[in-house]
Amino acid sequence: MPRPGFVLEVDRSTPPILFWRGENFSLEKLPADRSRIIYAPEPHKVIDDIDGAIRHSLLNPIDMDPLPTLLFPGMKLTIAFDDISLPLPKMTRPDIRQRIIEAVLDMAAEAGVDDVHIIAALALHRRMTEDELRHQLGDRIYDAFAPRGMLYQHDAEDPDNLVLLGETPHGEEVEINKRAAESDLLVYVNINLVAMDGGWKSTATGLASYRSLRHHHNTHTMQNSRSFMDAHKSELHKSNWRMGEVMRKHGPKIFQIETTVNNDTFPKPFDFLAKREWEWNGRDRAKFVAAKAGLNRTPARMARNIFHGIEAPHNMTSIQCGEVEAVHKVTTENVWKQQLVEVQGQTDILTMGIPFICPYNVNSIMNPILVMCTGLGYFFNLYRGKPLVREGGVVIMTHPTTNEFHPVHHPSYIDFFEQVLTETTVPHELEARFEKRFAEDDWYRHLYRTSYAYHGVHPFYMWYWGSHGLQHCGKVIIVGGDAPTVRRLGFTPASTLNDALEIASDVVGRSPTITHLHTPPIMVADVK
Amino acid sequence: MKALRIDRNTGRFMLARLVSGIDTGSAAKIGPLTLGDDDAPALPGSGWHRVYPRLTGICGSDLATVEGHASTYFENWVSFPFVPGHEIVGELESGERVVIEPVLGHAARGHALPFENAAPGDGDDYAHLALPPLEPGIQIGFCNSTGGGWATELVAHESQIHRIPDDMSDERAVLIEPLAGGIHSALQAIESVRGVESPVIAVQGAGTMGLCAVAGLRAFAPHAHVVVGARYPAQMRAAKELGATTVVKSSELSRTVRHVVGCHVVGDYLSSGAHATIDAVGNSDSIATSIRITRPRGRVVLMGMPAQVDVDLTGLWHRETELKGSYTYGTETLPDGSRRRTFDLAIDLAGTFRTERLLSATYPLSDYSHALRHAAEAGPRGAIKVAFDLRGERSKKDSTSKKEGQH
Amino acid sequence: MARDYPKQKTRSEVSRRVLQRAAGLAEGLEGLAMRPVKLWRTKGFPYRAPSIPRGVDVPAKKSTLGADFDTDFARGPGSRFVRRLLVAGPVNGMVRFLARPKVEGVDRLSDLANNDAIGGVIFAPNHHSHLDTPLMVTAVPKPWRDRLVVAAAADYFFDKRIKGTIAAIALNAIPIDRETTSRKSSDELRRLLARDWSLVIYPEGGRSPDGWGQEFKAGAAYLSAKTGAPVVPVFIDGTGAIFGKGMKRPKRGHTRVVFGAPLWPEEDENTRRYSERIERAVTLLGDESTSDFWTARRRAASGASTPLTGPDYTGWRRQWALYEHRKTGAAGQRRRQKRRWPDLG
Repeated sequence: MPRPGFVLEVDRSTPPILFWRGENFSLEKLPADRSRIIYAPEPHKVIDDIDGAIRHSLLNPIDMDPLPTLLFPGMKLTIAFDDISLPLPKMTRPDIRQRIIEAVLDMAAEAGVDDVHIIAALALHRRMTEDELRHQLGDRIYDAFAPRGMLYQHDAEDPDNLVLLGETPHGEEVEINKRAAESDLLVYVNINLVAMDGGWKSTATGLASYRSLRHHHNTHTMQNSRSFMDAHKSELHKSNWRMGEVMRKHGPKIFQIETTVNNDTFPKPFDFLAKREWEWNGRDRAKFVAAKAGLNRTPARMARNIFHGIEAPHNMTSIQCGEVEAVHKVTTENVWKQQLVEVQGQTDILTMGIPFICPYNVNSIMNPILVMCTGLGYFFNLYRGKPLVREGGVVIMTHPTTNEFHPVHHPSYIDFFEQVLTETTVPHELEARFEKRFAEDDWYRHLYRTSYAYHGVHPFYMWYWGSHGLQHCGKVIIVGGDAPTVRRLGFTPASTLNDALEIASDVVGRSPTITHLHTPPIMVADVK
Repeated sequence: MKALRIDRNTGRFMLARLVSGIDTGSAAKIGPLTLGDDDAPALPGSGWHRVYPRLTGICGSDLATVEGHASTYFENWVSFPFVPGHEIVGELESGERVVIEPVLGHAARGHALPFENAAPGDGDDYAHLALPPLEPGIQIGFCNSTGGGWATELVAHESQIHRIPDDMSDERAVLIEPLAGGIHSALQAIESVRGVESPVIAVQGAGTMGLCAVAGLRAFAPHAHVVVGARYPAQMRAAKELGATTVVKSSELSRTVRHVVGCHVVGDYLSSGAHATIDAVGNSDSIATSIRITRPRGRVVLMGMPAQVDVDLTGLWHRETELKGSYTYGTETLPDGSRRRTFDLAIDLAGTFRTERLLSATYPLSDYSHALRHAAEAGPRGAIKVAFDLRGERSKKDSTSKKEGQH
Repeated sequence: MARDYPKQKTRSEVSRRVLQRAAGLAEGLEGLAMRPVKLWRTKGFPYRAPSIPRGVDVPAKKSTLGADFDTDFARGPGSRFVRRLLVAGPVNGMVRFLARPKVEGVDRLSDLANNDAIGGVIFAPNHHSHLDTPLMVTAVPKPWRDRLVVAAAADYFFDKRIKGTIAAIALNAIPIDRETTSRKSSDELRRLLARDWSLVIYPEGGRSPDGWGQEFKAGAAYLSAKTGAPVVPVFIDGTGAIFGKGMKRPKRGHTRVVFGAPLWPEEDENTRRYSERIERAVTLLGDESTSDFWTARRRAASGASTPLTGPDYTGWRRQWALYEHRKTGAAGQRRRQKRRWPDLG
C-alpha cells in the first residue's frame, strides 16, 4: 500500500534535503523549527492488465455508447493524441498512447472503417521527430500510417486546414483542425500527468490555431487562474470550457479517452531521487555521492543527454473514456488521488529545486525562460485553494540558469530573451508591446511549420504562465544561477541557499517560515 | 614644447606590433612613440594660428599607428616624424577656446577650393594632401609641419578652427570631432533610405565612433529603427542613452535585425535585412556580417578603418550591396535639402547629446603608456573615450593661462 | 605451370609415405588395444553379461528414447548455466550469421512481463525449419528466455541418446509425440507451466513440407485452456528459405520474428475454436509483417488475409504462389537505405 503524501516539520535531526539543480542536485540544510518539506504520495499501483483495461474502457464508456457502435464503414475517423510534452519524463515503451490507439484501430478495422487520420495535437509546440513519434506510437502505427500521410502533426498556422467553428458568448473564436472538425468521430487520446491537462483543453487547445489560443493564453487569464491546476478556479479552463460548448454544438462528435499515470518518476539507478532522505540506505547514499561527483565533472551537453535519456517507469493507473466533461471529472479525481497532499497554511518562503525537464524542453535545453516558467508557472501553481507562499512572500529556486538556448527548438526564445526581457519583464506590458510581432513573424512561422521549432509566440506564453507567480511574490531568488541571466529575468541571483535566505529576509523578516516543495515527483499541495 | 612624437623607425614599428598583442601600454613605450621636448612647429604662413591643446582624445586610428598596425596605404599620406592627436580642443593665443577640424584641406595648403565655402574635407582630388607648402599629411596629427594634439602646442589654419561657446565645457567639446565623424556616417546611411517609411538601420560596434553614429542617426532620422550591436555593457548602456531603439550583444545583432525586419534566414544570410548598416568595427568579420544583415541593394557604410581584410564578396555581388567608405566630415546635404558643414552640426548637437558622457578618463601626457593602455582596453574596462589632459601642462609653463570652462 | 608438375608429384609421394606410416602406427595401436580385449573375452559372467536360460521370460526394458527421453537434468542449475552460455554465444552467433533476425512486437508483451501473477507463457509460432527453434531461443525476450522449454518432435530429436542430450541442454528441448497426444508428454508440459517454465510449441506439429504452413493442431490451445497460461502467437518469416525442409545445407538470408498480443481462452470456447483463433492471430501477424499493421487488420476483418496454409490449389501453381509470397516477406528483403534524420542534439 503506497504511503500518502506527507509534510515534514524540519527539526535539528532532519538530514539535508535534496534540491534539484537542472542536470544536477545538491543537499541543503533547512533551518530547524520553522521549515517544512512537502513529500509527494508514493506511486500508486499500475494496472496489471493495461491492454485489457483499455479494451474494457472502450467497451464501457461514460455517458456514451461503446466505441464499436460509434464506428461504421465509410466514416471519417480522426484520432488525436497528446504530444511529447506528456508525460515527463517519457515513459518506457510501449507508450500508453500506442496501446490505446492500437486498440481503437483494432475496433475500427473490425467495423470496416477505412478513412482514419492520426493527428498529433501539439498546438504551438514543436513538431516531433520520427524517433519521437515512433517512441509514442510504436513502429507498427508509424509504419502503417506515416508513409501514407495518415499520421501527421497539427499545424496551427495552416489556413487551409483550419476551420472556424464559431465564437463563444465572450467573443472567443473557436478555430480548430479542419480534418478533426469534419470527422464523424474524433477520438482524443490523452495522458493526464497533472490536473491541468485534459477535458476541453485537449481539443480546444491541442488542435486549435493561434487565433483561437490567444483568447486563453494571455496575462489576464493566467493571472486569474488560481491555480490552473484547479479547473474550477481557473480562468484558463473556463475559457476552454466555453469553447468546448461551441464545439459540442458545432463541432465533431468527440470520444475522449483520458488516462492517468502514477508518479513513479525515476528508474534505477536514479530511484533514490524520489525517496525521503532519511530512508536512503547505504547504496542510495553511495549512488548520490557518485552521481554528484560524476555530474560535477560532466560537460553540460553530456549530462543533458544522460538525463533526457531517462525513461520513467510510471504507467497507467486509470483509463476512462466517453463524453468529455464526464470523463474529465473522473480523471481529475484520479489525478488528485495520486498527487494531493494536505498542507496547513501558507508560508513566507517557498523553495523549489528546478529539475532538468519541463514540458517544453524534452530532448532539449532548459533555457532561462523555461526556468521561469517551471518555477513560477508550474511549481508555483502546484496548489489547490491558496498558493503555498503568502502574497508578498519569496520564492527561492535552485537552478544553474545559464544563458543557453536550443537553436532549433527555441529560436524565438532567444530573441525574446535578448530583445524583450531587456526592455521589460512585466507580463501585460510585454504582451501589449511585443506579442503581435513575435506571433506574426514569418520566419518563426516557417520554422514552426517546417522545422522543429516552437511557435514564435511561445516564449510569451511561458512568461504568462508565470505571471500570477510574478504578481503574487515579493521577490524571486535563483540559487546557483548565472547572475546576469537571472537579473535579465528580473530575479535576484544568490550563490548559496543561505545567501538566498539572507536576501529574502529583507522582504519577509528575520525568521520566516519556509516550505520546500520536494518535486519531482509531481504533487499538488491542498492548502487549507 | 612637450610632445609625444612618432618617428619612422621600422624596427620599433615591428616591435610595437609584436608587443601590442600582449599589451598596448608596453607597445607604446618600446614602439615608435617617444615623449620629448621638441621645438614647436613654425607658423607656415598667414592665416595660421598657434593652438594650445587643452584636451586631446585618443582615437582608434592613433592607437593603430602606435601599435604599428596602420596600413601601408598611409606611407604616402603622412610625414614623419609627426605628433599624433587630432581630436583637439584648445585655445588660441587670444585665449579663445576652439575645436580643430583636423583635415588639412585646400585652404590650409593654399590651393584653390573645389567649390565655394568648401570644408577642409571636401573635394574629389587629394593631390593637395601630398603637395607643398606643407609636408604630406591627411590631417593634423599625421603631418610633420603642423604638429598634433598630443603636445602642448601646434599650428592650425584659420579654415580648421571652430570657436566654441563659453558655456561648452572642454570635456564636451573634445568629442565634437568624433561626433562629426558619426554624423557624417549617419547621413551617408540615411541618404540611402530616403523615402523609406520606417527604415531599419543597424550599427555594428559601439565604441566612440559607433556611438557617435547612433547620435547622428537619432538626430537626422528620428523615425528609423536603430539596432546596435555592442560588445560591452558600458557601450550598451551608452547606446541606449543616446537613443538606439534596440541594443543587443554584437553576437546577437544578426538575429535581432532579422527579428526587427521579420525576414527569413537562408544559410548565413538574412533573406532581407537592415536598409543600411553602419560598420564601426571594420574587420573581416564585421564587414562580412554587415553584408549578411543588410538587405539586397542596401548600403553598408564602412566607418571603422579596415586595413587588409578577407571577405567573401559573393553575397555583396549577388545582393548588389553598396559598400561605402566613410572617412570624415565636410559639407553635408541634410534630409531637408539644406547644406551645412558637418562640424557646425556637431557643435550644435554636442549639447543635445551631452557628449561629455562619453569621456571616461583623462591622463597627463607623461602618463601616456597608461593612457594608451586604457584606450586600447576601453571596452572591457567600461570606458569609451580616453583623452590627454593638457591644461595642467600649459599652466606649468605659462601661468597667464586663463582658468575657465570647467564644468 | 610446367614447373609446378614435379612439385606436385613430390607432394603426392610425400603424402603417400605419410599415409603408410600412419597405417602402420594404427596397426600397432590396434594390437596394443586388442590385448586386454582378448583377455576380457576369455572371461565369462560376471565379467560379461549373463546369457539367458531358455524358457525364461525377460521383461522388456523401458525405452528411454523418443517420447520417454528424460530431460529433467536439462533444467538443473548446471545445465541452465551451460545453456545460458551456449545461447548467448554460439547459438546466437549462428542465428545472427545465418538468419539476421529482426524481432518485432515485443512491446505487446509488456503487460505479461509486468504482471508477477503470470508465470509460464506458451509461445506458438509457425514452423518452417529446424532454424526456428534456435531463432526462438534467442528472440524470446528476457524474462522468459532463461526459463524456456521447447517442445521438439520425439521421433526426430530424441531418437539417439547423444542427439537428445544435446537438444536438451542447448535448446532445453523436451520430447513430444507429434502424432498421438500422449498423456505423459502433456502432463509433463503442464507440470512445467505450473513451475513457471514457458514453452515454445509449434502448433503445426512439424515443419512445413512445401513452404506453406499447415493447419494448427490443438495442442497449444489445449494446454492453455487446461492451465490458464496465455498463448503468445508468434510469426516467423524467412526461415523456410534459409533452411527449409529438404534443404541439404542452409543458405544465408533475412528473417523476422513478430510477437503478437497474448491470448487467453474465452468462456464457452472449445479447444478447437481456440486453436483456430490462435491460427488467425498468427495469420494476422504474418500479414502484418508483409504489409503493415493497419492493412493487415482491415484485411483480417474483411476475411481477405492471405492464409498461412497458402492457396487451395495444388501442384506447380502452389509452388509458384509460394515464390511470389516469399518475395514480399523477409526472404525477399534487400538491404534498404536507412532514412537519415537531422541530429538536433
